[in-house]
Amino acid sequence: MAEPTRPSDGMHPLDVMAPIDAETRRTMLRYMLVARAIDDEASLLQNQGALDLWLPCRGQEAAQVGSATAIGDEAVIFPSYREHAVAVQRGIDGVSLVAQWAGRTFCGWDPHRHRFFPYTLVLATQALHGVGYAIGRRLQNMPETVVIYIGDGATSEGDMSEAMNLAAVESAAVLFICQNNGWAISKPSHEQMATSIAERANGFGLRSWSIAADDPDDTYLACLAARRYVEAEQAPALIELRATRVRGHTTSDPHRTYRDPNELAVAQTYDPVAAYREKLYAAGVVDEQWLDAVEAQAGVARRQLLEAFAK
Amino acid sequence: MTMTRPMSLAESLNEALGELMEDDPSVVLIGQDIGRLGGVFRVTKGLLNRFGAGRVRDAILAESSIVGQAIGMALSGLKPVCEIQFDGFVYLAMNQIVTQAARMTTRWNDQIALNLVVRVPVGGGIRAVEHHSESNEALFAHIPGLHVAYPSCPADAAAMLKYSCALGSPVIFFEPKRLYWNRKQQPRLGSESDSPVGARIVRRGSDVTVVGFGALLEEVLMAADRLADRVDADVIDLRWIAPMDTDTVLESVARTGRLLVVHEAVKFGGIGAEVVATVAERCGHRLKAPPRRLAPPRQVYPPADYEDDYLIDVADIVSAIEEMCG
Repeated sequence: MAEPTRPSDGMHPLDVMAPIDAETRRTMLRYMLVARAIDDEASLLQNQGALDLWLPCRGQEAAQVGSATAIGDEAVIFPSYREHAVAVQRGIDGVSLVAQWAGRTFCGWDPHRHRFFPYTLVLATQALHGVGYAIGRRLQNMPETVVIYIGDGATSEGDMSEAMNLAAVESAAVLFICQNNGWAISKPSHEQMATSIAERANGFGLRSWSIAADDPDDTYLACLAARRYVEAEQAPALIELRATRVRGHTTSDPHRTYRDPNELAVAQTYDPVAAYREKLYAAGVVDEQWLDAVEAQAGVARRQLLEAFAK
Repeated sequence: MTMTRPMSLAESLNEALGELMEDDPSVVLIGQDIGRLGGVFRVTKGLLNRFGAGRVRDAILAESSIVGQAIGMALSGLKPVCEIQFDGFVYLAMNQIVTQAARMTTRWNDQIALNLVVRVPVGGGIRAVEHHSESNEALFAHIPGLHVAYPSCPADAAAMLKYSCALGSPVIFFEPKRLYWNRKQQPRLGSESDSPVGARIVRRGSDVTVVGFGALLEEVLMAADRLADRVDADVIDLRWIAPMDTDTVLESVARTGRLLVVHEAVKFGGIGAEVVATVAERCGHRLKAPPRRLAPPRQVYPPADYEDDYLIDVADIVSAIEEMCG
């Protein structure tokens, strides 16, 4: 197993650097493969006109599955709109996940049952909801950990700054998970901010870390440390997960028109799902039989999408 | 026996908030300077001492934070009542109100109730500085998913606030600043509205229907009294701007054949246009005269020295009614 990336401040009081058990790693790979199947099939369905739009998460699976595994089943999640692998991990099936992109609903799942709230398309608004929710539960003596997913572009919105400040002032038990895929549609992150997201969070009084989220093991351990910090200290934190955007912002986004061909070519060779599959196979954590069984499960997810949406 | 002094709007709302909090521990207040100071208009005076800082929450100076966190609190099971300090600052929370609060129950497939009140002191006539005299109710009335309350007197405001607090759907609750400390009130019919969200006939008449709401209803009633020997005006207090009880207006216009709508916000694209259009569509054939709106022109609210010219006054309303009934 690769040496996990330590939180950037290197001063974490909690030891989460224990080895990850094989079952957890298999579970992460399974979610990655199923999420990939849904993501691919949804992109194809959109290409055929069966979906109105799809927002691919390809390249962000390690960030999503690693963080979701660290979060576990208990915390309430306020997602942005691209956390498909997190949704899958919370038990939301592909058909429910895709329904809103076919114009059938604004939310295809039961947010309470899955403890995964509806996707929010006006950026960063959910950050304030999440902080308010955490304060509200505490006021009712029923504290819950809240996890807010946010993208790098959304951190430019005023609501994100307000949410970080409010969380810090209120010492709300909120973990902000920022997936930085390097792009806010066509504007690269380095043109979006002069500091890093983690640095900014720190300025508001949040504990923060920034890691490369290429591998679910590393991501899991770093996010577990972050979650434990939030729960132990009952204070907010932010972890920036640096990921790669392989596809366009959406299926309607002609990203070749603005991405440097070389940068894009490198991005398109990037596949955290294949890398993790190879890693676990080489380590003997999974075998052909296991992979076949999971591929069959992924196939079922694809077929369900075709049955529900193909025209 | 001692005469009880009539309550002002601020006192009535203060009492209502206290009762709401007493009766329901899930009611919390969030707003700038509402705790230690008791609010810039003292509507929350004394509540911090009674209910503590957990439930009377002095907010960070950020309106989007106030409404955004309140949405999250409502999702967590609380019934937040927010205070925006002045009408002109509600725009900072507009995104949270319009794209989030108003749509939340629909987005959740109606699986949730969103108990959320946003109290907004509204209107001019108090010699306030820029941004402190706005009348922006039409902006909110246009947004599906929002209830817009606009009470015209202390007792009704308290009843409407209590109704709003547990409605399960977000309410923008306008409080006319001119009434906060005003204890004089024109006499009104004691008729209760059939529905808690219904309009109310506050003066019976047969010659003209005059529709108003908020602080300006006082001027409407004064004008009606001034004309009483010549014109018999039916005066309707809309109470709720959205959803709007147009049936009460239509029934009245069917009797009187004339309609005047009076409001403090600019005429263009305002509530008056909605009332007039509804009457034109649904009982135009009963009209004896063209329906009319009386409201300020589409101009920025002026500096205090000029606000008396800008605002609709009793004389303006008297003239309009006389012209319509002449």
